[in-house]
Amino acid sequence: MSCPVNFKSEKIVMKISRFFYLVLFLFFLGGTPGIASPGPTEDLKPTLQGMIDILCDPAFSGNEKRDVRREKIMDVVSRGFDFREMSKLVLGRTWRKIDSQQREYFEQLFTRLLENAYIGKLEKYTGQEIIYKDERIKGKKAAVSTVVQSVGTPPLPVTYVMTKTSSGWQVYDINIEGVSLLRNYREQFKSILRKEKFDGLIKVLEDKNTYFDGEATK
Amino acid sequence: MLNTFSTLMKTYNRHTLLLLLVLTGLTCFGCAKQDTSTHEMQNTDGSEINTATVVDERVDEMDMLLSDDFFENDSVSDDKYYDPLEPVNRIFFEFNDKLYYWVLNPVSNAYSAVVPFDIRYSIGNFVNNLSAPIRLVNNVLQWKIKDAGIVLSRFLINSTLGVYGFGDPAWVEFNLEPKPEDFGQTLGVWGVGEGIYLCLPILGPSNLRDAGGFAVDAYTHPMVYFVDDILLSAGYYSGSRVNLLSLNPDVYEELKKYSLDPYISMRQVYLDYRRAKIHDTRSRVRSDNELSSELQK
Repeated sequence: MSCPVNFKSEKIVMKISRFFYLVLFLFFLGGTPGIASPGPTEDLKPTLQGMIDILCDPAFSGNEKRDVRREKIMDVVSRGFDFREMSKLVLGRTWRKIDSQQREYFEQLFTRLLENAYIGKLEKYTGQEIIYKDERIKGKKAAVSTVVQSVGTPPLPVTYVMTKTSSGWQVYDINIEGVSLLRNYREQFKSILRKEKFDGLIKVLEDKNTYFDGEATK
Repeated sequence: MLNTFSTLMKTYNRHTLLLLLVLTGLTCFGCAKQDTSTHEMQNTDGSEINTATVVDERVDEMDMLLSDDFFENDSVSDDKYYDPLEPVNRIFFEFNDKLYYWVLNPVSNAYSAVVPFDIRYSIGNFVNNLSAPIRLVNNVLQWKIKDAGIVLSRFLINSTLGVYGFGDPAWVEFNLEPKPEDFGQTLGVWGVGEGIYLCLPILGPSNLRDAGGFAVDAYTHPMVYFVDDILLSAGYYSGSRVNLLSLNPDVYEELKKYSLDPYISMRQVYLDYRRAKIHDTRSRVRSDNELSSELQK
């Protein structure tokens, strides 16, 4: 039961498809990147790659370039990470009790702590490869699972938990083999808050950052 | 040791044969995983349902992170662990901390200075290989048949080609990854609760369930059956501990450095890590034993 070839209809089909391509073309041409944000994985990639690029750049290597390098890295990180959300979530109930000035100061201190703790760790980077495995979106939250592959050690699964903000998807938690970075600090903060209240926590954070600064100048 | 083995073989000939048969079967199962690179759809009976459950469970696993509003609701996360012994645990934590800085760390440093990395790494392999029976038993008890096969394959390959387990050709050459399991985890998979959190002297972070599991695992270790001397066993344990530390020198110090309350941080790491492993097992175990679903992934 073969259909007879209908030249007329084929022409129409061609016209329609041409029109369709044109629409598609115009759609992509006119689409501003700000409106149609790409997925969480696409937003995560430049952040991680940006950090790696800076770490691998010989122009920023060595101990004497430390400050410039950190500044550059923090520049990339602050675009990909939502430190406000992190500060809010890590404090939990206490966040609602403090005023905006305290919030601002806490965010500043906590960001510094993370910077000190994790950029120091990052600086030991030795060419591991990051493989993006899976992505899951649920409302305004997303999880992107990656595997850090390096020679000689078993692969390390790292999941980035992200939230959708006005400037795309931003990371608010890092989960390594089930261990959540944010929850770890949250539990510590909770214990300190219970005993020493908010002022005590601020003091502990200040001390820790001073300790890291002292170590850096050593 | 070889003599004992041959007499064993003679006395329990029938049992040994049966055991060997079962073990060979397991090995084959373990190796079969490596040949599943072809991702073809096979719609054999039942496999369709199976894939569906696999996919669902994978959704669950990542969704757990997303639905984790550990922030909004304080009371919920407060109930997630039981640490009534915190004051005592903190004392033992301090004790372990001192033990680390006064004894373990200096010994490990001196040892690292004398023994080159390659040899320490090989010793680590040997120690690891010797505890394969623990992993085998627990993989079977968790019904992870394929992983049990991998554990067994690794043990056989590394004990022979790897020269008594000092090398790890199973991983390097055959790409068989280690499958660590212990009885605490097995109990967790079976649905036994964690009980209270414990920070044990010398042994470090644990909970009631895992501490029990640790004691049971000691009896699956070949050491118990070949060495009577308790001092020698203790020596072996502390030696392997120092060796392990010399291979991962920074772990504890980094945890201390980056945390504001190291006791809490360590507790949280321990609980999170163990829960993730047990949860992972629960959701993965069925899919892993089905080779057909593996093919469809």
